[in-house]
Amino acid sequence: MKKTKIRTRNICFQYHKKQILKNISVEFPKGEISAIAGPSGSGKSSFLIVLNRLWEEIDGVNVTGKVEIELNGQMQDIYSGRIDIRQLRRKVSIVFQQPNPLPMSIFKNVAFPLNLAGLKDRERISREVESALKKVHLWDEVKDRLKEDGRLLSGGQQQRLCLARTLVMRPEVLLLDEPTASLDARTAEAIEQLLIQLKSRCTIVMVTHYQDQIQRIADSHFEVVNGNLINR
Amino acid sequence: MAEIFGKTPVPGSGEMGKRTLLEHLFTIAALVSAVLTGAVFVFLAVFAIPLIKNGLFFQLLFSNWLPQQHLYGIYPMLAASTMLASLSLALSFPVSLFTSFFITAVAPRQLRMVLLYIVRFMTGIPTVVYSFAALFLLVPLMRAILGRGSGMSILTAVPVLSLLIAPTMIIFFVNSFQRIPSSTILAADSLGATPVQKVLYVIVPQAWPGILNGLLLGLGRAIGDTMVSLMLAGNSPTVPQSLADSARTLTAHIGLVLAFDFDSMEFKSVFVSGLVLYVSTAIIMSIFRITSTISTGRRK
Ligand SMILES: Nc1ncnc2c1ncn2[C@@H]1O[C@H](COP(=O)(O)OP(=O)(O)O)[C@@H](O)[C@H]1O
Ligand SMILES: [Mg+2]
Repeated sequence: MKKTKIRTRNICFQYHKKQILKNISVEFPKGEISAIAGPSGSGKSSFLIVLNRLWEEIDGVNVTGKVEIELNGQMQDIYSGRIDIRQLRRKVSIVFQQPNPLPMSIFKNVAFPLNLAGLKDRERISREVESALKKVHLWDEVKDRLKEDGRLLSGGQQQRLCLARTLVMRPEVLLLDEPTASLDARTAEAIEQLLIQLKSRCTIVMVTHYQDQIQRIADSHFEVVNGNLINR
Repeated sequence: MAEIFGKTPVPGSGEMGKRTLLEHLFTIAALVSAVLTGAVFVFLAVFAIPLIKNGLFFQLLFSNWLPQQHLYGIYPMLAASTMLASLSLALSFPVSLFTSFFITAVAPRQLRMVLLYIVRFMTGIPTVVYSFAALFLLVPLMRAILGRGSGMSILTAVPVLSLLIAPTMIIFFVNSFQRIPSSTILAADSLGATPVQKVLYVIVPQAWPGILNGLLLGLGRAIGDTMVSLMLAGNSPTVPQSLADSARTLTAHIGLVLAFDFDSMEFKSVFVSGLVLYVSTAIIMSIFRITSTISTGRRK
């Protein structure tokens, strides 16, 4: 039987009192890629930020309901008082639809989560950064300009930079918001291959518009319909 | 401008007439203030050039104020202004900066609103109210602590002046932090940054020109303040030997010395005080302009 990694109960999401999602109760199996589709503006991105409590940083958002995620081998209520919210966000990490590199160099962008965690070993940081950039197929494009500002990269490069930035945290769950939207077909395919490889370590919840992508890599397929999440 | 006026004016319509009238008013207002600023500058220059030529300017700048001995120098006031302004800034800047960090990165939404409301309210309080309150609360306390004198001293004026300039700086800092794109802040949040890490690695590197500008604005206010120093610093026109001494700032000096005769030494002394204030403010504002250009240029 498949093991459940994420379980939500009656999730409701409001933006300034406007109901976006209502009573979502779903389960995502461990080590699989679950795809979420649905019209734009239906609340797909909103759903993702419920899973790592990032909505708490956004003005005007209110969420009710329960989310349980298996962390460190144990099912845990992420809204319970015992949860360290920063640790949660590193374990359940998100790549946004709109790439948002930090105002620092390419290298520092990827090293940033390691620095936040207090890692000091320069050599190890360099190794991790290089390996993450190689995984997302960005290394060859940036290896000679690691000191340049991350915001100067193209949209597709920024998207891969942000993916690399989350990978160095070794998350247990990856929340991906249209991860291949600004990539060319070849790079998109490479990233899809990466996601399939990542399944052995990561559970992936991915928002995507592409039906063919869902066919290729998703193990289960959900759709947002009228504020609800329906398993197809 | 288009957003302010809404619709595009149709030539010959009433809309057009209103708009040009408003535009004329703006032009006139701009011209008037430009002319006035220019006039002040010309006034200062006309009086300053002969003073600088005959060396009296520097003589007044570096000598003492002893009218009985025909010494009309402003050195004591220069020293007092410098001390008072720099001490107040040294106290107020870190407090304001940390308050702004707290408001931006730590405080929950409701508390943030309340704090910003209080800070905005504080900017509206006339300086004389601060001084008046301090006259009854702080001055007796200082008299008791120092055990001598009137209780009016640099030490008395510093906390009040610090309090006075803090809201200006806080509002400026908070505004410059809020101009950082929310997606950038959210990126740091999504990577598990603590509030302190957000401040150190995201806010400060992005907002330092704004921080520098807020500091300059605070310095400008501290140097230009008259009421606090006049009412609380004691006004003694001698070089303060310690912070517990009574002192007179340049602004207070201008306010206190009655000089109606353009040829009198009193007038020249007051004039040099004004010139020093004018030039130092001009320098501060020029730096302010430069760093403003840097900060807007960087965001492009
Ligand atoms: N900052 C915001 N303030 C108010 N409403 C918002 C905000 N962001 C998104 N919304 C609304 O929330 C709804 C869901 O948005 P989102 O989750 O981004 O949808 P999707 O990712 O499916 O396109 C949309 O109707 C959008 O208008
Ligand atoms: Mg979206």
